[in-house]
Amino acid sequence: MAAFSAASELRARGYDGALTLLSPEGLPYDRPPLSKGYLLGSEDAAKIVLAPEDWYAEHGVEVLTERAAALRPSEASVELGNGRTLGADRVLIATGARPRPLAVPGGEAALTLRDRADADALRAALAPGARVVVVGAGLIGAEVTSAAVGFGAEVTLVDPIDPPLVPAVGEALARRLHEMHGEHGVRTVASVPVEIAASDGGACLVRLAGGSAVAADAIVAGIGIVPNSALAADAGIEVDDGVLVDASGATSNPGVFAAGDVSRLRHPDGALARRAEHWEAAVRSGQAAAAGMLGEPAPEFGAPWFWSDRYGAHVEAVGTLDARSAGRIVLREADGLPQAAFLLADDGRLLGAAAVGFPLLIRAARRIMDRGLAPDPAALADPSVPPRKLIH
Amino acid sequence: MSEGIDVGSPDEIEEGTAKVVEPEDSGVDEPIAVFHTESGCFFALNDTCTHEEASLAEGWIEGDTVECPLHSSSFDLRTGKVLCLPATVDEPTHKVTVENGRVVLYPGVPADDAARTAD
Repeated sequence: MAAFSAASELRARGYDGALTLLSPEGLPYDRPPLSKGYLLGSEDAAKIVLAPEDWYAEHGVEVLTERAAALRPSEASVELGNGRTLGADRVLIATGARPRPLAVPGGEAALTLRDRADADALRAALAPGARVVVVGAGLIGAEVTSAAVGFGAEVTLVDPIDPPLVPAVGEALARRLHEMHGEHGVRTVASVPVEIAASDGGACLVRLAGGSAVAADAIVAGIGIVPNSALAADAGIEVDDGVLVDASGATSNPGVFAAGDVSRLRHPDGALARRAEHWEAAVRSGQAAAAGMLGEPAPEFGAPWFWSDRYGAHVEAVGTLDARSAGRIVLREADGLPQAAFLLADDGRLLGAAAVGFPLLIRAARRIMDRGLAPDPAALADPSVPPRKLIH
Repeated sequence: MSEGIDVGSPDEIEEGTAKVVEPEDSGVDEPIAVFHTESGCFFALNDTCTHEEASLAEGWIEGDTVECPLHSSSFDLRTGKVLCLPATVDEPTHKVTVENGRVVLYPGVPADDAARTAD
């Protein structure tokens, strides 16, 4: 996503020189469907490409199904996996990340979900009646669980935090979202696996902290990602849980930029940001790096946004709902169910909003935040006030 | 098909909202969203986002753009051009006019310009 976004932005900004995209898997595709429609089988590989083949010809982007083996910024070149060398005045590292492995004895038995082949393997494992243990109840774990339920699998979802996602959507929505698992027949267990042991007939036994054990035909781990930063590190570029970049995607080497999941923002004061792992962050960081590569100032972006889907419910959030440091939460509830949560700063400005099933509330919230407005808390809390009326 | 369809009177579609004309009424394959902007203009695009299954009529209509309610791709209501990811494919436009106090949609006929309410 980051590489595609950067290529698209370079052309939009008028760059008319050569542009090569190294993409070992072929035409770049969108990852969010891998845990949603593509996993469920309602969208195929052709449907999830970011742009059709014509787009690359029209925009003068050459796609090579090659891996970069080494960066040679001092020689303005990149060495490819096939031994060829490609001249490059500017290089963008958008190598993404890989799933964090389940670091317990036998943990290599766990499936993970990152690319199309992973989704294909996972789909094959989610047979009706299969006993599936999902480790990690964050967004990926929850989406995989929801898909597994759709396939008729018998799912146990293991996460030490109950409910997860509180900083992302606030306590009330996090609780409601986590309860959806139980409502769909999923057993949720607040624990962590300590060992995966082989069992009869190719099945596994997942031993949990506290002494219990769950039999599984398939185990899926959704416990975070590790940035693929070796290429940068090998080229002497500064890396610290991600390739360190400024707001324009510039790394410690002036010819090399980074964007997407592999990158980590270093603020001007030297403080390191948390790696942003959502889809929109990849789009934006790709755009910022495109500007940086052209020597133009980075665009200004509003508050970060993400979406997720489970059991047919569409979840979105913008900004932060983490009330631990500042602010107070305002809830919008109807019939005892929370629809949306808003985090208001002490001065009345909106710091973030999350909603389950009310996407226009999030579009209103994004505009309120971008414009620095102080919304009326009573209107935010009132489910009869339409989203558009929140902007005044 | 080039014959116009009566979609209703201009005030039946509140400003900042849209009305969907279904294929059985329009004779074309896809549902069409007829948008009434806050500045009083009417535009029509295919209703389904070119990215995934979502109704643009249920999106956020502001100025001359609509933002998809699912993944926030925006489209230019005048031209159907996609303005931001994740969609990368433009929406087809359809001609809309206001004739004798009625909003008239021409399914399958590309828009040349916005129809304005009498002003």
